[in-house]
Amino acid sequence: MRVGDAILDLALATGAPSLFFVGVGKNVGKTVAMRAVYEATVRASMTVGLASIGRDGEAIDSGDGQPKPRLLLRPGAVIATARSVLPQSPASRILDLSTLVTAAGSLLYARVVHDGYYELVGPPTASGVRDAVTGLMRYASYALVDGAVDRVAALAGGGDAIVVSVGADAASTMDDAVAQIRALVGRLRIAQYDPTVEHVRIEGALTPAMVSQLVAQRERRAILLRDPTQLAMAGPAATYALEHLNLRCERPLRVVAVTVASSGRERAFEPREFARAVAAATGLPTFDVYAGAVAA
Amino acid sequence: MAGPAIDRSSLHAIEGTWLEVRLTPSSEYGLRAFAALRAFAPGEEARAAACAQRIARVAASLEPSRLDAARDVLRRAPDAAGALARAAMGEALADVQFLELQRCFDAMIALDALLECAVDAEPCANDAVRQVVAALDPGRSGAFGFYLSDAFDPRLGEGRKALTGSQAQVDAARGRAAATICARLGREEISGNEFIVMRADVPASGLPAGMRVIREAATYLVCELDADEATLGAIERRDGALASVAEAEECVRERLSTVLRERAAALDAAMQALGTLDVLVAQARFVQSYRCVVPEYVARAAMAFSGGRHLPTVEALERDGRAFTPLDLELDGVAVLTGPNMGGKSVALRTCGFIALCAAYGLPVPATHARVGLFDDIAWLGIGGDDERGSLLSSFATEVVRLRDLFARGAQRRLLLVDEFARTTTPHEGKALLIAVIERLRERGVCGIVATHLGGIAGATGATHLAVRGLRGIPHRPATADLHAALAALADSMDYTIAQVNGPGEERSDAIALAALLGLDEALIAAASAAFSQP
Repeated sequence: MRVGDAILDLALATGAPSLFFVGVGKNVGKTVAMRAVYEATVRASMTVGLASIGRDGEAIDSGDGQPKPRLLLRPGAVIATARSVLPQSPASRILDLSTLVTAAGSLLYARVVHDGYYELVGPPTASGVRDAVTGLMRYASYALVDGAVDRVAALAGGGDAIVVSVGADAASTMDDAVAQIRALVGRLRIAQYDPTVEHVRIEGALTPAMVSQLVAQRERRAILLRDPTQLAMAGPAATYALEHLNLRCERPLRVVAVTVASSGRERAFEPREFARAVAAATGLPTFDVYAGAVAA
Repeated sequence: MAGPAIDRSSLHAIEGTWLEVRLTPSSEYGLRAFAALRAFAPGEEARAAACAQRIARVAASLEPSRLDAARDVLRRAPDAAGALARAAMGEALADVQFLELQRCFDAMIALDALLECAVDAEPCANDAVRQVVAALDPGRSGAFGFYLSDAFDPRLGEGRKALTGSQAQVDAARGRAAATICARLGREEISGNEFIVMRADVPASGLPAGMRVIREAATYLVCELDADEATLGAIERRDGALASVAEAEECVRERLSTVLRERAAALDAAMQALGTLDVLVAQARFVQSYRCVVPEYVARAAMAFSGGRHLPTVEALERDGRAFTPLDLELDGVAVLTGPNMGGKSVALRTCGFIALCAAYGLPVPATHARVGLFDDIAWLGIGGDDERGSLLSSFATEVVRLRDLFARGAQRRLLLVDEFARTTTPHEGKALLIAVIERLRERGVCGIVATHLGGIAGATGATHLAVRGLRGIPHRPATADLHAALAALADSMDYTIAQVNGPGEERSDAIALAALLGLDEALIAAASAAFSQP
């Protein structure tokens, strides 16, 4: 099977104009998953735009000096990236300058003219990323966004489809990795609220302190968030909140699939077992991009 | 914006920062020109007048919508000064820098077209700008973009065609190799460089040729494609084509950068002219928005205006649904200003400072008519300043220290605005101090206005006595404790105009009536009235 095609089909079925890739940590296969979906868009002759929260596509991880998966883009692809990382040659068609700023300078929009490796550097703020995606959509019919760790706030209010990635580098054991992805997916899939049901509206972030207070009060009413990114916690704390409170949101997110990377830099999990465990924990179609397989 | 000497505290009191915000230009070029603006010094009255007249002529010759369109163009002009400096230094620029320059020069041309009918607005695009625009023109891509297109050099087209062809050969060779391996492994695709093969899926004959194992795990192998000879050959040809394209592109960039370098001085002058024009457009729009007039500049420490307005207060009142009463005032030497509480004494002082500040920058002033001297020092003393030293000093001590510093500060022509100096000490000693201060100011030829509730100051010093006319009658207290209604009632009853008092005047404060209007309870007001009426 073509994993990229399958994920793209799921994403397009939601009607969302863009697909965000988020992960439970670094080196969990987000960029590889995005690359697979990007290749699917090329096969489908879609004009696609690509952006990143933070930095993606560089040859070497600036954090640990290890090689990173690179983004080979085809002619026609539109990118939102920092001006300082746009390759000099072969020249790209610069479409517009933006006032948005990234860690590597101001952002621009460019169309790829010849095949080449591109680095995507995006704005560091959630609102900046949203603006960058809005800018991309002037030139592309569909956007792919490589998310950074702990930047799920960028998802808020965008109406995007989301793919979540987990890999062997995310935790020391498979069980821990599965728990992490369960928590992240649970958090992102907080269901839409029913206005007829009694609820308590939370303004701002729902923090661990607030969760513990609500649980201690035996709060049974629905806890209403604006969107799932308001749940400001991850891992076991998020799972605890999801299990002990009736969390609901006004603007739900559309998580369409999970990808697994069973082979990490430091450890490896048995691919099929890992994919099955993740599928069971999340209830979502789970793909192994490296193995070209689906678990559920 | 810099000078006349006006300290932070005085600027705060006059609300000079409001003026700065309203005059802020739209582009980085304008901001640089704005930061370099200097006020006109005493003796430069003719130049200041010429400047104000020029701004007024531009404002009068253009529709506000045209100036707004010009500001839009300026806002969208990217800052290409850095790119030009790099070209001047001999660097070959990047495509994004060509785009910045192109858009900057396009903005100049668009701006010149918009302001064509403006009297005195000199065009900023010069011959060098037009030559560079022509040189960069083949790079225009869409409305806002740039591309090092084949039109710049025939070698680009040839090289790129070869690159496209050789890349297709690489793709085909890789595709064939991947398809062969996929067929042997029984899978549909290999995505990316690394892929996993389950040990159980490895054919009995072993892994197919064209791939290699890079890591092994118990149940699977992490593999990558091995380039065969056909692929390696295609890659070599592609890399060769890529190098040729890179070389041709660099040649074009060098050539365009040379065009810029050879005209760097003229282009820099055009950018500076753009900044100056941006400042002028902002000033002209200000003049239109606030109906300002060119003042008559006088070569001495004096000012007089009719219909004067303190614009920040005008806007604040408008937001509150009320109107500002324009002021007429004449100041030659030191005047004492008295009047009731809430009668606008402080606003009158601010209006003087605001108009003097506008005039110092050669800007038309918010009045129907004005005659203003240039001051090299505009200072505020008293309520409304923002003095940092106040934290460890009493309010009286803060004022005294500030006054001491003001006297120590040399100034050829000073405008001093004093708002209730010495109000926090005993009236007797406060009055004595104030009289002495006024006498010192008069000795030094200061133009100033001293607002006070202390009685008999003007008479004791021989200073001009100005007074806010004050309440026409006692305003009716609103039925409810509604501050907004109370202020509206006050505005209806108060005559904010200022008149000169000849002879011994009556210093009115109307404090008890105002306290009643503002909601103090009736018993307290009655007690205060009784105490006040006792001899």
